[in-house]
Amino acid sequence: MISTTDIIGYCQPYEIAAQETTELKLSSNRPKTCSVKVMRIVCADIDPNGPGEEFVEQSWGETQNLAIDKQEINAGSYAIVKPAPELTSVDTISIKMYIWPTKSSTNCQVIFNWGNVSFSIETDGKLAFNFGSESIISPEPLLLREWYEIEGVINFKANNFYLKNRMLNPVVGYLAKSKTTAECTQTFLLTTQHPIIFGAKFKESIHRREFTSHHYNGKVEAPKIFVNKNKKPLVEWDFSKSISKASILDKGYSKFKATFINAPMRGATGYKWDGSVDSWREKPSHYGSVHFHEDDITDCEWQTILKITPPAQARSGYYIARILADGVQSDIPFFITQRLKKSKNKILFLAPTATYKAYANTHVKFDSHNTENLFEAPISFSEDELYLNEHRELGLSHYDTHADDSGVVYVGDRRPMLNNRPGLYTFNYINDTHIIKWLEKKNYGYEVATDEDLNRLGHALLDNYKVVITASHPEYYSTKMWDSLSYYQQNGGRHMYLGGNGFYWRIAYSDQYPGVIEHRRGVSGVRTWEGEPGEHHHSFNGEPGGLWRTYGRAPQSLVGNGFSSTMFVKSTYFRRSKESYGQETDFIFKNINTDIIGDFGFRGGGCVGLEIDRWDQDLGSPHNSIVIATSENIGAGGLLTGEEFITTTRALDGDQNSRVRADMVFFTTPGGGAVWSTGSIAWATSLLWNDTKNSVSEVTQNVLNRFLENKEFGLNE
Amino acid sequence: MLLYDPDGAIYNIDGTRMDLAKEYRDNLRGPFSLELQRVLDKMRTTPLKGRLVLLVIEPFKIFRLARLSGQRGVSPSTVQDVRYYSIAEAEWDIFKRRWLELTGISISVSDPK
Repeated sequence: MISTTDIIGYCQPYEIAAQETTELKLSSNRPKTCSVKVMRIVCADIDPNGPGEEFVEQSWGETQNLAIDKQEINAGSYAIVKPAPELTSVDTISIKMYIWPTKSSTNCQVIFNWGNVSFSIETDGKLAFNFGSESIISPEPLLLREWYEIEGVINFKANNFYLKNRMLNPVVGYLAKSKTTAECTQTFLLTTQHPIIFGAKFKESIHRREFTSHHYNGKVEAPKIFVNKNKKPLVEWDFSKSISKASILDKGYSKFKATFINAPMRGATGYKWDGSVDSWREKPSHYGSVHFHEDDITDCEWQTILKITPPAQARSGYYIARILADGVQSDIPFFITQRLKKSKNKILFLAPTATYKAYANTHVKFDSHNTENLFEAPISFSEDELYLNEHRELGLSHYDTHADDSGVVYVGDRRPMLNNRPGLYTFNYINDTHIIKWLEKKNYGYEVATDEDLNRLGHALLDNYKVVITASHPEYYSTKMWDSLSYYQQNGGRHMYLGGNGFYWRIAYSDQYPGVIEHRRGVSGVRTWEGEPGEHHHSFNGEPGGLWRTYGRAPQSLVGNGFSSTMFVKSTYFRRSKESYGQETDFIFKNINTDIIGDFGFRGGGCVGLEIDRWDQDLGSPHNSIVIATSENIGAGGLLTGEEFITTTRALDGDQNSRVRADMVFFTTPGGGAVWSTGSIAWATSLLWNDTKNSVSEVTQNVLNRFLENKEFGLNE
Repeated sequence: MLLYDPDGAIYNIDGTRMDLAKEYRDNLRGPFSLELQRVLDKMRTTPLKGRLVLLVIEPFKIFRLARLSGQRGVSPSTVQDVRYYSIAEAEWDIFKRRWLELTGISISVSDPK
């Protein structure tokens, strides 16, 4: 068997333009050398019964005999203060903070570490204050998800030390506070040449890179360090400040900067949070904590093995660096994007890279109880998925929970992403390449840009194109992405939305965290975890997360339809509506002699499937929008999403509930533009059926050809 | 914070209902009768620990039966050397195994031809 995981890696950055450089980072579990072939993806679907995989080797992208080795990942978030304060003439030192532990563990978890002084939670759940080889242990284990004020004091003159802890909300039957003192059996020197670390234990520095261990799961708030009898702390940090930043100065604004590594969660509720607000922008003082996780990772920080610089003539598109070695074939994805460079091509395909990241390395098949029920079939695991389960250091997806059951709010691309490449995980990335292959087979000239481009460049990215195509599942959108696409639509642009469940969740980007997106789940929508109370606002920019719909922007208001249902069992077809025979939309069905569209396809046997959207003027479908086709025969496999019903009912499936449907929608916009939305992910995976000789392909082609014409659409065309 | 309840599926399967087993055998992908749907819902929401799953041995061709560990990072353990050569074959066999485990009664319905 050829292994896909003996060598893994990533390209940094994930998206480049031609003549820019991406750095290939590889780690090998076995081979010592490999070769690299850069290939442009036409279709990444390797299913022998699918539309046919297709890759185009790039003459500029071949490298032989690259030396490779194992590279380490230092997963787990922490905050580091380096340099730390210098201590001279210290009689006593006192370290105080508030903590909210979230996980019991078979490993010791270090909350705070400075040289040979630390706070930790031992394997029995008890709090320890450690000084050298001496430890004081709290009498009782800490309760999870309870706030404690803790203090450790070392008295060098008296040669003793003590630990105090106090539960902020005492619970009957548990010790509300305790103080334990011990003599030091020998004299230790406080070692201050080391950095101060919150959330982990300092292990070593290698080539200026810190390695840590014994990561803590839980929150830390308001740490302070006092020396001698000074009432003013030597140093303290207020984590309610600079919440959007990746580092924070100490309260005295001296040089003692705490830098957050691997993105522990900011904008986290603190011990003062009382439910009076749900946003850190309103009362920052209620959001004074940082939530650390043992499995946070935003950057593997691997050494570069090869620099890849596509020449000027390289086409924009989906690319892989195919790594070949003895018994290994492993694909590393990256994008060459068109950005603002002028192109003779009139079509722009927006690769939904935010969605790819949101799903990257998902572990739901292992960790989420309801996954088999959602897909209604036994779960099967590929080599890549088994590897991901065993190697949690590769990081999680927005669908996963951390080891302490809290949801994953930050995901990044500076790590191997084993389900965003040719393979057995077809959702999103592979399905989208069906559209790429269709464009190629139909000889359309097109360019590719990414969500990051759209977020960075705004509508200027789109303005050069007559038609913008969004993919099978553009689910995660930032405000700027949404506004830019809306601007394009409203100013003469033609937008083809070839998918379902699009424009659903709001995300945020940050210059402070390159390659990372943030998403707060909130309490509605189809989701695998629920946001924690009070923590529904993005730390990156303060905007609310969750569903766009909650904030007055249901997807219907952008594209005419919005998410209604999942249907992972069987797909079905559209029936053309009577309204579609009007003059305005008749062009869409030109030369199609049936009202049944798409009773075939590579996902579930139809073009209506996986996730589907419906029209609803009450939710924002434009007044002039027309439902040109609606699904039929969805059956019991179609299940309504939670935000689509108000009171509980058993009537939630496609046999009983009319909202379980897909509506294909068309509308024109001011400035001569138009929007056509298919409302189904499986539309994209039906395009290539029967070598594109099919009604889904023909409808798409009719729309695209008309959208490419200069003739403006009128409001009453 | 709302978490999954691993023991949340409380429906009791009547292990004598061979008519439901036959219905499933003859139509693996549904639609199903309400009673059979409840049986499947129960089977698909059993605790993660020990849940039967498939390992891809050769993509699109060979699958191996395994059980989830229910522990993060711990690989599924294979069940003897049970292999399947189609998903349909696997679905029927997993259904039979789950029926026996949940009801204590073996399915007496013959395998599909």
